[in-house]
Order: sequence, then structure tokens, then C-alpha cells
Amino acid sequence: MTLTREAIVEHLKNIVGKERVITDEQVLKENSHDRYKKFETIFGVYSTPIPAAVVKLADTNQVSDVLKFLNENKINSVAKTGGTATEGGLETIVENSVVLDGSQMNQIIKIDETNMLATAQCGVNLGELEDRLREQGFTTGHSPQSKPLAHMGGLVATRSIGQFSTLYGAIEDMVIGLEAVFPNGEITRIKNVPRRSCGPDIRHVIIGNEGALCYITEVTVKIYRYFPENNEFLAWALDDMSLGFEVLREVMVEGYRPSVARLYDAEDGVQHSFDQFAPDKCVLMFMAEGNEHMARATAQGIAEIVEKHEECRKIDSRLIENWFNHLNWGPEKIAEERELIRKNFHIGFTTEVSGNWDCINTIYENAIKRIREEYPHIEDLTMLGGHSSHSYQTGTNLYFVYDYDVKDCKPEEEINKYHIALNALIVEETLKAGGSMVHHHGIGKYRTSWTKQEHGSAYYILKGLKDQFDPNGIMNTGTIYPVE
Amino acid sequence: MKIAVCFKIIADYDRLSHKDWEWDERHFVDMSFVRRVFNCFDESALETSLKLSRQLENVSDPAELTAITVDDGQGDLFLKHLMAVGYDHAVRICCNNRLDLRFNPLVISHLISRYIKQEGQKLVVLGMQGGEGDNGQTGFLVAEQLGWPCIREVIDVVMAESPDCLKVKSRIDGAILKQTIKLPMVLIMGHSLNSPYLRVPTLKQKLNAKKKQLTILSNIDLGLDNEALLNKDKTLMDLHGQKPGKSCAFLEGKTAQEQAQCLYDRYLKERLSL
Repeated sequence: MTLTREAIVEHLKNIVGKERVITDEQVLKENSHDRYKKFETIFGVYSTPIPAAVVKLADTNQVSDVLKFLNENKINSVAKTGGTATEGGLETIVENSVVLDGSQMNQIIKIDETNMLATAQCGVNLGELEDRLREQGFTTGHSPQSKPLAHMGGLVATRSIGQFSTLYGAIEDMVIGLEAVFPNGEITRIKNVPRRSCGPDIRHVIIGNEGALCYITEVTVKIYRYFPENNEFLAWALDDMSLGFEVLREVMVEGYRPSVARLYDAEDGVQHSFDQFAPDKCVLMFMAEGNEHMARATAQGIAEIVEKHEECRKIDSRLIENWFNHLNWGPEKIAEERELIRKNFHIGFTTEVSGNWDCINTIYENAIKRIREEYPHIEDLTMLGGHSSHSYQTGTNLYFVYDYDVKDCKPEEEINKYHIALNALIVEETLKAGGSMVHHHGIGKYRTSWTKQEHGSAYYILKGLKDQFDPNGIMNTGTIYPVE
Repeated sequence: MKIAVCFKIIADYDRLSHKDWEWDERHFVDMSFVRRVFNCFDESALETSLKLSRQLENVSDPAELTAITVDDGQGDLFLKHLMAVGYDHAVRICCNNRLDLRFNPLVISHLISRYIKQEGQKLVVLGMQGGEGDNGQTGFLVAEQLGWPCIREVIDVVMAESPDCLKVKSRIDGAILKQTIKLPMVLIMGHSLNSPYLRVPTLKQKLNAKKKQLTILSNIDLGLDNEALLNKDKTLMDLHGQKPGKSCAFLEGKTAQEQAQCLYDRYLKERLSL
């Protein structure tokens, strides 16, 4: 028998204590969405079903007890920590869902200088962990723009990536061990070892599961020595993205690992004020870091490669350093953005994809061309561009950026008229060219129409995980897996 | 109705750290590596005037908007941006770039007022102060030279029933003053909550603006020779940084109650009894 909303709340109070079960209407509304629906929610419209409760979890045992109860009663759960998700993963699309908020599980458990490991509960803010590490001369190497707000659990759950990924890797390269709870209440721990050959790497069942398979309660990541004094910035202006991708590829294939390797098209550059020093040009930039010898050699090697291309014009590196140092999004920037949206009915979003070197420029050109030619509300767009910000030996990512004036529609209609439609054109062009439809935000709830196409025959494996670990389908319904 | 909006482009001071504030022998701080932005009060003036011009679209004397800046070239991108969002004319007044105009609002006001007279403008809107010199005088000086009424700390302006009047809302001594004023006039914008940010042009508007021409004038074009640009009423003697005088003390006590008691006894009691 399905439990009523009131009964769900009562049971939850019995499990974790009444002070940990929040039913305040405004809090519930704020927990029904993430940044995907930022437009309508700024105007006070909440079109997603409001959850039955938000549970402030205290420890792993509580996570286990609550999940067991939800599983037995087939009640949908949405895992949440920092709440910075951008792809609808935190939307409570099922009536009477329960939001499992791990933000109070916020203890840094251990910093192990010998084995170069840091262990933190899921609700530890990355910025705080990073500050603690830096005091001791270390870094996680993970620095997404959301660092001031994001928590460790969410970062791992979405397979996030940071601005220094080209050197340090993405979160999946950093995670050594984990603790996670499955819907039947089973608590699992994956031990911290440097490497092993003991069957498939089961960390990857948990990393990137977006709350659709299990709840991450604890994370252990690698740490690195921190040498900010050796950072070197380099930048050049160039005519087109095609050349930029070519140079990026040369740098990566030659074996250099700058922490930052970015390529902006002219349009995207304008919103970062790059047109003030490189009007109508693309901008290619790098940051070399690490110990003194590595940083210097990396910077020199990259400069040699880029300067072989006469079309590239050197830019004052201080411009890039100053810009880069102000790139993160903290609470004040979120507040400023909300105010801008409210006053000007103007909003911006991104869609991030990836592709091998042989198709990345095709993805870039085709997606931009298709939007310009086919999108029916192109007149409302104020910006359409993109950049690459994470490169690999085999390819790179592309961040499409689009801003628009919201015209002639209700706040709740904005998402279909603009965001979903633009997102779809980019995803379709990416898959058509052989790329991946999501690089680092997670599938969330708005790219699930293409999950099967993305994985092809390997969807069999992905589906098997859901069938095995969440047979009752109570884990973040509609995320990663399409609602059949 | 001809409306002139004056603006200044400044370095984004939020992106300067304490260590960046080092000046050379001419008292200039190197800000060449920091992006430039609209001075915040001027940005309000620009957006407020755009909104006013939209209200005046269907009247017998529709608005003709001109954006004006005094600088040596860095403002061109911003002038193009303004043409894209709807300004009809974009004017840059350039002077000898060796001159230090940061603390010379008198010269700036002469340049502006001469242009206003020359072009027969009816309304001048500008921000109350710029980040570089923080003089806060240009608007008043422009009004004086034109002999026009001047309203300071304006927060909004809309059209009035009478075609030669505007309704102006401003702050005065903590209150909001609403007036209907006859043109011509100078409006000095303060913190406008209605229009804090300039709108963003669409892709099409940006493309169209690229084809439009900017008007570049020199001080000579406005009848002021180089001698007249010199700062004769004051000389910059020195600049020095203020050292922040902050200190920190930890409150004793095991509980929040004990700590609050400590805060009261040591720091608040004496102050509150004054």
C-alpha cells in the first residue's frame, strides 16, 4: 500500500528524529529543483512536484535506515549535498519524493600525508577541504567553478571535473576509495589502495551514479604537493577554432600536461572581456604548474609548439592570470546572476560535450550552424559560442554557451522554448559526429532521451546496474535512465 | 528629444588585489591587465535613458539617444555595445593622452557641455561619480556651465503628461522625492534599483552595430585648445594606501551563552551605556 505524504514524514521522524525532517513549504520548494530550472524559480514558479520532506542526514547508519525504509515502501529519493547540479538531477519529479540531504555529514575525517590521501564525508565543501589542505602545502587538484559551494558527495556522484583537469585529471582519477549505501540499506566500503587487479574497478559503479544507484557517504581522494608560486600563464590570439584545436592536440600529443588548456571562440570570449585585448579572435591559453622544473619545462615546451604557428599572436599573460583568478562561482556571484535575470529577463546556459580530435571541430561547427539556421527563436539569442577547457591525449571537450532574452512566454515555458530546444540541437549534432553528449555535468534528467543512443550496445551493462542495485526504482527516478 | 548620456570606462576594481595598488612617479596605478567595465552609476544612467527613450517612441518629439565618453580609445568597444542596444549616436571625445584627467572634472565638464550646446541636446544624464577620481563633481559642473537645473541622486525618470517635462524620482535626506521638471535639465544618477544593469544586445543587434560609425571628436573640435585642458586649480601631490586597522580577538567560553556573555561584558556593555 502506498504511504501518504503525512505517513512518510512520520516514519522519517521516527527514524532520524523530528528535528532532522524538514517540511517547511519554502524549503521543500527550494529542494524540488536545481539550476536547470533557475529561470522559473527566480520568478517564484515551482513546476516540479514538491517533495514530501527534506531529511538532514547525520551519519551513514541514518542513510542506511532511511534508504531501507524508502526502498521497502517504494518511495523515490533524491540524493543531495551542495545543490550545485545544473542538469535537473536534483529535481523531484515523482510525487512525495524524499530529498536526502547529506550536507551535515561534513567532517574531514583524515589527511594522510604519508600516503597522500584525504578522506571526507559527503557533505564536506570542496573549498573548505582545499583550504585545509593548502594550509599544509597540499591540494586535491580539483577546482570546478562551483568549488566554493559544491560538496564532495555531489562532485563524485556527477563525475565532476575541475579547471586543472588536464594535469590532475577529473574526479574519477582522484577518487581512491569510497563508502556508499545502496537502497536495501547495504553499507559498502571500497578500500584505499594505489591500484589493484581484483576484478572490474567497482569504484566506477559508484562514481557518476547521480544518486540513481546508491548514496555516497564518504570519499577518499589523492592529494598533491601545492606549488602556486611556480604557476605560469601563457596565451595567444588566433583566427579560428580549427587551428586552436590543432595546436591543443599538438600540445597534448607531445606529452605536455598543463593544468589549464583552454580555447575560446571569439563570441564566448566577449563575455569574458577577451575582446578588449583580442577583438574578433579566438584565445588559446595554458597554465603550467607543479614543481619548479616541471612548470618551467611545461611552459617552455608549450610556447615552442604554439609559436611555430605564425598565426598565433602572444597575449600579455597577466590579463589571463587576472581573469582566471576570478572565475569561480561563490554565493555572491549566484546572487548577482539572479538579480540580472530578474531585472533583464536575460539568462544563459551551457551544454558540455566531448569528442576525439578528428571530430571535435565538426561538432563545434555543425552545432553552431544548426542553431543559427534551424532554431526558431534565434532572434532572442544574445550569445552563441563555445570553448574547450579539458583536453586529453585523444580529444577534448566543448562547452557550448548560449544566452538569450526570454520573450513572450511565462516563466515556466522558458525551459521548453529555449533551454531544452537548444540543448537538443547540440546533443544531436554531437552524437551524429561520434562524440559524447555529456562531458562533466552528468546526464541529469534532461539528456536521458539520448542515454541509450549514447551508450549503444553497452547500455546493456548500464541497465544491468540499475536492475541489480535499484530493482524497485527508488533512486532518483528519471536521472541517467529514461523513464520508460 | 535629444538625450545625451555621459559615461566613463574604468578598470574593474574588484579584480585588483591589495598588492596591485602600486603607483609610478606620475601616480598612475598599472591596471592594464584588468578588464574594463562601465562605471556602475553611468551604467544605470545608460539603461535608465534607454527605458525612457522607449516611452518616448510614439510622441511628437521621439528620443534621440547619444552616448558620450571622454577617453583615448578604450571606450570604442563599449560605444559599439551601446549602439547595439539602441543608442542612435556614439561619441568619443579624445584628448592628449599624456594628460591626467582623473582629478580634473572641470575639463571633462567643459568638453561635455560644449558638445551639448553644439548639438542642441535637451537632457543630460550621467552617473554621480566615477571610480578613478571619485570627484563627484562633473554633473554639477556641466549643469552650471549649461545654466540648467540639476537633480542629484536620481533613481528613476519617466515621461510626464506634458511633452516638455519629465517625472524624476530622486533620493534626498533618506526620503524619495518625486518631481515633474521642465526640460532642459541635467540628471545625476545614484543607486538605481530599477535599472542597475545595462541590457544585453542580441546577436543580430551586435552584427548591425558593427557596421555603424562612431563619432570621434577632439578637444580642438569642441573649441578647447590643449592649454585649456591643463589642471590649473589643483596639483596631485601624493597618494598613499590606507592600512586596514583590523584586529581579531577570540571570545572565551565553552558555550555560546558564555561567549555571548563575554562579548557583552568586554565589548558591548560600555558602548551601550554611552
